Amino acid sequence: MLKVAWLIPILPLLGAAFHGLLGRRLGKAAVTVVALGCTLVPLVLAGFALAAVQAAPDRRIDLPYFEWMAAGSLHVPFGLVLDSLSSVMALVVTGIGTLIHLYSVGYMWEEEGYARYFCYLNLFLFFMLTLVLGSSLPLLFVGWEGVGLCSYLLIGYYFDTEVASAAGLKAFLFNRVGDLGMTMGMMALFAAFGTLTVGDILTQAGRLSPEAGFGVLSFATLMMFVGATGKSAQIPLYLWLPDAMAGPTPVSALIHAATMVTAGIYLICRLAPLFLLTPITLTAVAWVGGATALFAASIGLFQRDIKKVLAYSTVSQLGYMFLGLGSAGFAAGFLHLFTHAWFKALLFLGAGSVIHAMHHEQDLFRMGGLRAKLPVTFWTMVIATLCIMGFPGTSGFFSKDEILFLAWHKSPGLYAMGLAGAACTAFYMWRLMALAFWGEPRDAHAFAHAEESPATMTAPLAILAAGALLAGLLGLPRIWGGSFAIEGWLEPALTYGRPFLAPAAEHGGAGLAWGLMALSTAVALAAGLIGFRIYRRGPAAEELFAGRFPALYRTLAGKFYVDEAVEACILGPVRWLGNCLWKAFDVILIDGVGVNLPGALTRAGGDLAALAQTGRVRNYALGMAIGAVLLLWFFLR
Amino acid sequence: MFLIFALITLAGAVALVFQRNLVVAGLCLVLCFMGVSGLFLLLANPVAAALQIIVYSGAIVVLLLFVVMLLNEHQEEAAVRARPLQRWLSVAVLLVLGAGVVKLVAGSKLLKQLDASPMPPAMTLNTLGDALFGRHLLGFEVAGLLLLAAMVGAVALVKRDL
Amino acid sequence: MTSLNAILTGGLQGYILVALLLFLVGLAAVLCRRSVLLQFMGVELMLNAANVALLAFARFRGGDAQGTVYYLFIIAVAACEAAVGLALVVGLYRHRQSTDTDRADALKQ
Repeated sequence: MLKVAWLIPILPLLGAAFHGLLGRRLGKAAVTVVALGCTLVPLVLAGFALAAVQAAPDRRIDLPYFEWMAAGSLHVPFGLVLDSLSSVMALVVTGIGTLIHLYSVGYMWEEEGYARYFCYLNLFLFFMLTLVLGSSLPLLFVGWEGVGLCSYLLIGYYFDTEVASAAGLKAFLFNRVGDLGMTMGMMALFAAFGTLTVGDILTQAGRLSPEAGFGVLSFATLMMFVGATGKSAQIPLYLWLPDAMAGPTPVSALIHAATMVTAGIYLICRLAPLFLLTPITLTAVAWVGGATALFAASIGLFQRDIKKVLAYSTVSQLGYMFLGLGSAGFAAGFLHLFTHAWFKALLFLGAGSVIHAMHHEQDLFRMGGLRAKLPVTFWTMVIATLCIMGFPGTSGFFSKDEILFLAWHKSPGLYAMGLAGAACTAFYMWRLMALAFWGEPRDAHAFAHAEESPATMTAPLAILAAGALLAGLLGLPRIWGGSFAIEGWLEPALTYGRPFLAPAAEHGGAGLAWGLMALSTAVALAAGLIGFRIYRRGPAAEELFAGRFPALYRTLAGKFYVDEAVEACILGPVRWLGNCLWKAFDVILIDGVGVNLPGALTRAGGDLAALAQTGRVRNYALGMAIGAVLLLWFFLR
Repeated sequence: MFLIFALITLAGAVALVFQRNLVVAGLCLVLCFMGVSGLFLLLANPVAAALQIIVYSGAIVVLLLFVVMLLNEHQEEAAVRARPLQRWLSVAVLLVLGAGVVKLVAGSKLLKQLDASPMPPAMTLNTLGDALFGRHLLGFEVAGLLLLAAMVGAVALVKRDL
Repeated sequence: MTSLNAILTGGLQGYILVALLLFLVGLAAVLCRRSVLLQFMGVELMLNAANVALLAFARFRGGDAQGTVYYLFIIAVAACEAAVGLALVVGLYRHRQSTDTDRADALKQ
């Protein structure tokens, strides 16, 4: 099996090539079969890989293939590494990827660019798997950039609309800013360690002790975090994610919920030993994560578009993951990544089902009463909502509470932010559910035509619901009788190189854990209930609220006007500068002086010289006489 | 003698330049040619002197005067636009050239050298004829052809319909 | 002093000086007068100046017939040129009713 491990990323690439070159000609059936095959087979192989990793010593299998770059002292191998972290992540990517491919068959069947869609989707899988399985940072970066590219291509799938093209470009540009940070981080790491292979870096790092101030390592990890900020939509580089909802809904589910945006968290988990050595960066990670969690959740409270609510929810949940990582809970953060992938993908696909049924209506204020019409969608979305709000027993409950517990120990302020965010999360999720599925239908025409989606779309919903409920078992905490299995599983990967580990802090007794758990559960349940009751009969209450607190409402619903601020402070001046440079530099200097002036001078010179052409013989004779004088002067002086 | 003939020549030429009336100008030209003929005589070349009067004053100037009479334009026309630049520049150039010429001739050593050669015998028609039909026969024949061509060309140019 | 003497009494320098001055006068006629016939007379003056110089040199360098033969050829050519040139003048006059060379500037820029 290990001999064909390289097929895991390569098969989707071949699928993408097939769809791109032959898809249009061979028809939708062929495209469907190839697309599903190219995700199913890697899923199976990833399962085998997981089993192999389980059996391997130190739960790590290195598969170097060839030397990719050799320049001076830089040697970058081209290889894969299967360890406990990457094998689980690969399983998540291929598993959720396969489900979403299946869902897309139904969702995108009517579309003109069917083959193009699956080409991009398979290409995305290839890049994501390269990112996950790559053994060196440059290879990871190839995957990193590649998923950014595929994100751009897929967001801009409806390229003939202004909105989608602009959103795709926005995503790509914000990613680019983050990538700059990542590149600088890689350079700093190379300067510090002389190698870019992850294994070697971590082995070397194992011999170091944590940095006291802000040194090269802190800079490197901070830059890596900046890269993660761009990819995983944290403050300040989160602005692209809500706009990315312009792409097809399965794309939002796969890329902007489950896999691409989690690449930042994955990166930090990979380099966990490094981050443990740089407490300043870890603190920054935690506070940025916590702030994002609260900030994004507050914006999601009053959005009208169903996908925008889920987009801000994703930003917020990613913030939770970073909060967990920053509190030195790498396993907890990764667990939340795992559970979030299930229920957020489920939420997006469910929203897609609703949108599909309502004939591409996305405004919550125009939905209502869909409970009876879309039963499967409804019940699966209820399960997902319970997960995300942290209902006791669901997967989201375990992961979120673990994060909040660790956050408390890092700083109570962080816990407060997380708690407030959880309240907002519960509120807006039940607001969404109430507005969509309860109450009187507000758009009678669309409601009349709404019907449950086909099996290709509802089957993945059901599978995801099951996964969302069961995923929590991986993180069953000790106070519940479990063993927090995920931590044990990931430990060899997270502590590769035997890094300096702070002595396990006294994390308080079981009493503190129960107390915090109870508090967050109570807050979430209360907020959810309030949200449900307010919106059960429709959005009237919101209009009342908007009337009573107009400034607050407008700020929240207007996304704190951050987009407008960026436009005014950054984009506007840059465009103005470009305009000035064009007018002054290009038009006047280059066009005027460089191009037009020699032409004008030549013409003027020609006009001047033409004065001598009078056509009169006398003048020409005089010219000859003058010439003769000059010649004689030269030769006879 | 030389001085007289030289002055006649130059006077005729200068008068020509300043003349208004074309016919009088033609007559000044004849005067000039007479002077030149005299100079040829002083150069011991009576053949050339004779030819000068016969051909130049007797044929070419007559032809010129024929055309003047034919066109019936005895005065130069009024100028379309006065062109002072041309005039003053020409004067300047001519003065410079004149000064240069005088200086050149006065200072030339070669000329001084050649000045001392002895006076040859006068040219006779016999000598001329020997040379013309002897060594320069080809040139003579070509000149004849040239004259023929010029005659034909002149007629062709002025015929109204060929 | 010898030069002036030569010039005044008919030495070679005198003849050459006359020839050159005659040439300049002919040039003046071409440059300063507008009538085509007057300009033609100036051209004849220039040709004669060349003849004077030619024969002067011929006499002071041995006096054989070659110089005179060339003088004959120059006359022949001048005659041809006169014939054809005057034919052109007649043609020009027929076309433009004018012998003013300043008006014949159709080839200008």
